[in-house]
Amino acid sequence: MATQDIMSRSLPQGVGRWSRGWLAFMTASSVGLVIGIIGWWMEHDQGMVATGMRDLGSMGGATWGLYISMVVYLVGVSFAGITVAALIRLFDLEQLKGVARMAEVLTVVALLLGAAAIVVDLGQPLRALVNLFRYARPQSPFFGTFSLVVSGYLFASLVYLYLTSRPDAARLARIPSRLQTLYRWWAAGYQDTADQRVRDRRTTFWLALAILPLLIVAHSSLGFVFGLQVGRPGWFGTLQAPAFVVLAGVSGVGHLIVLAAILRKVVGQEHRIGLDAFAWLGRFLMLLLFVYTYFVVVEVFTTIYQPTVAEQQISEAILTGRYAWIFWVSIAALVIPAVILAQMALTKRWRIGWLVALGISVNVGAIGKRYLIVIPSETHGQLMPYGVGSYSPSLVEYAVVLGLFSLGALLIGGFMKLFPIVEMEEENS
Amino acid sequence: MSRRGIISVGMIVAGLGLMVYAYFAGAAPWCATGVACSNPRLEWSPAIFVLGVLLAFSSALYYEVSNGPKE
Repeated sequence: MATQDIMSRSLPQGVGRWSRGWLAFMTASSVGLVIGIIGWWMEHDQGMVATGMRDLGSMGGATWGLYISMVVYLVGVSFAGITVAALIRLFDLEQLKGVARMAEVLTVVALLLGAAAIVVDLGQPLRALVNLFRYARPQSPFFGTFSLVVSGYLFASLVYLYLTSRPDAARLARIPSRLQTLYRWWAAGYQDTADQRVRDRRTTFWLALAILPLLIVAHSSLGFVFGLQVGRPGWFGTLQAPAFVVLAGVSGVGHLIVLAAILRKVVGQEHRIGLDAFAWLGRFLMLLLFVYTYFVVVEVFTTIYQPTVAEQQISEAILTGRYAWIFWVSIAALVIPAVILAQMALTKRWRIGWLVALGISVNVGAIGKRYLIVIPSETHGQLMPYGVGSYSPSLVEYAVVLGLFSLGALLIGGFMKLFPIVEMEEENS
Repeated sequence: MSRRGIISVGMIVAGLGLMVYAYFAGAAPWCATGVACSNPRLEWSPAIFVLGVLLAFSSALYYEVSNGPKE
């Protein structure tokens, strides 16, 4: 056993070894997950009344609340991960290769959490899931959401993550360790021969090419869930689908910057993820932020120019009323980073610390915007003769959301100890 | 093309076929009114669509992982 421990030390990036910091992180995440499970158990025990959600109109509430905002946000986070990973393969972006795997892991984890956030929103999750597979109508955007996002997109991302990790698994399988059997199984016959390398590159290239349009369709279909509802002022609109895709990119790239900055230090791979990688991500984020800002301006101008009564009610609630503080904080959290990034790009002085702060900021803005997409239309967009409603998330909802994020942290933390989160350098052969 | 390639392309074609069948022939028809417009023509059509998606992407796994017949 002692010999095996010594052998495990030769695995790279701290794989197979526990540190105090990692144990503390995993313990804190486990506590968060337990709080989330307790919250979900209370929701099941008491019914949906334990949440802040109530019927539209007659009960003056919102039937989609924090959970659905999180679904939209988390599926959005998944976007940038696989997009960046696919772009790296397609255009051979050497400077970004260090972030490829963490981008893929981020996508898979965010999609799993997004699916879990749908499940916690359902009073009868099992019945709902079975009936979707049995009766869903192709005309419904939900058909695209669950068939393309949850099954196609998640499965494609898992296949992509697996195939791109095989070369590293083959390298790790040659190192004596307690995990050697796992890596042999993981590599599944891959021996890093010239022929296998060619085939691996060919497959991941075509897979990346197939995934890019798939994820645009998948994210657009999630936007259509809102944008196609003609009877729901505030949601109905042509900009919903493209705006969903762009804001998904914003939150995902922001997340990836933060994750890359933390993990490169934790696993001692600063030389693999250098300033040029952060500069590339920073420029990509800046571009997405400017496009999204343009969408917001167009959207606001359209809703205040000559609105219907319901549209006016919603825009007033968002711009000057009940939701104004969320809106203006979100806008500041998105626009200020765009300006700072532009300044960094012009002067070519990129600072990782600043980029991390901007990554956090745009994610705060993205969560705020997702919340505003989902809630105000339900509370202030009644076409029936009901009064204005209200919605505030309950402690149970906050606990469940904490549990979801903790689960994500556990999954990423667990993966790091099982496999290198930064792609190993290719050996010359 | 190698047999490995032919089988992989076959999986993609079969997957796409399942998706097209489930979407256009098995699921509820594209019409607006009546019970017939709400019910799927074949129950579990959405599951068949999902199977098609999985089969198409599994072709990449087969192409990479299988030892394949001798080429």
